[in-house]
Amino acid sequence: MNVAENAYQVYTELIDSTIISYNGPFDAQVLSIIAENIEYSLSDNPRVSKKLFKIFIELAQNISYYSAEKQENSEGILFGVGIIMLREFENHYSFSTGNLIERKQVLPVLQKCETINLLDREKLRQYKRKLRNMPSGEPGSGNIGLIQVALTADYPLEYSVIPVNDDNSFYIINIRVNKN
Amino acid sequence: MENIQIAGKHGVNFIPTVNFNADTGICEIEGESYLEDTIEFYSPLFKWLKEYCVEINKPITFNFRLRYFNTSSSKCIIDILNILKKYKDDGGTAEVYWYYDAEEEDIEDELEEIEDFVIETNMKINLVPE
Repeated sequence: MNVAENAYQVYTELIDSTIISYNGPFDAQVLSIIAENIEYSLSDNPRVSKKLFKIFIELAQNISYYSAEKQENSEGILFGVGIIMLREFENHYSFSTGNLIERKQVLPVLQKCETINLLDREKLRQYKRKLRNMPSGEPGSGNIGLIQVALTADYPLEYSVIPVNDDNSFYIINIRVNKN
Repeated sequence: MENIQIAGKHGVNFIPTVNFNADTGICEIEGESYLEDTIEFYSPLFKWLKEYCVEINKPITFNFRLRYFNTSSSKCIIDILNILKKYKDDGGTAEVYWYYDAEEEDIEDELEEIEDFVIETNMKINLVPE
């Protein structure tokens, strides 16, 4: 197969499976348009639609707040930049997000994902309650979005971090939700 | 004391409908809560509740009817429950009701979240299926 054919195959595969894809700043306007699209595209499966909606909001708000790459919107407010993709497979949907994080964030981010995947449901709920009760500003407090994502998804978090340059790495998360 | 009335929105921000009535002591939050600036939205509600507890000092009935809420809104729900719990501990009367759609699939997830609210705040929540 030549390069053109290969590229076309990748293209058709992506087109076939992709429901939503977006790359850019995650401001409130973008969030609402994508959220509406999720509800609309999956309106025949309310269980999955609700799960994917909840997962999307938390992942998107994480990019909006924590992405190392920022862009101004039309009102001059800075928002995190990232990529998001919702794809449909035979038995499941898959939500993938990616954004730049600062190098010093790599270890805490990996540790958090690892901890979340090691805990069973009850322990995960305990962990969420503990973090939610910590005063904001304390180390480790605050972000419980990813824990909620793990509680909502049907599979463990799939994640990886790829070094980009001396300052930044690219942080990828993939979440799977069963169709039934 | 003024009442609080906020119409819910399902647009750029998902704002819940809020009705806090100082005459009846009935406070309601319903709809969707997925705001960008959660604290800014909820702060006046906390302030109102605290003022009601001191100035009006009558029974409060708090009704939640939330279909969607994100994790930062959940922190504000915890704050509301903590205010009501304190009011009760100090001798006030406060009842919390959580209305949910019994027909909805996977309602266990939502009920689990409400159970977490109760464990975290020690405030009793009366579940009401609709």
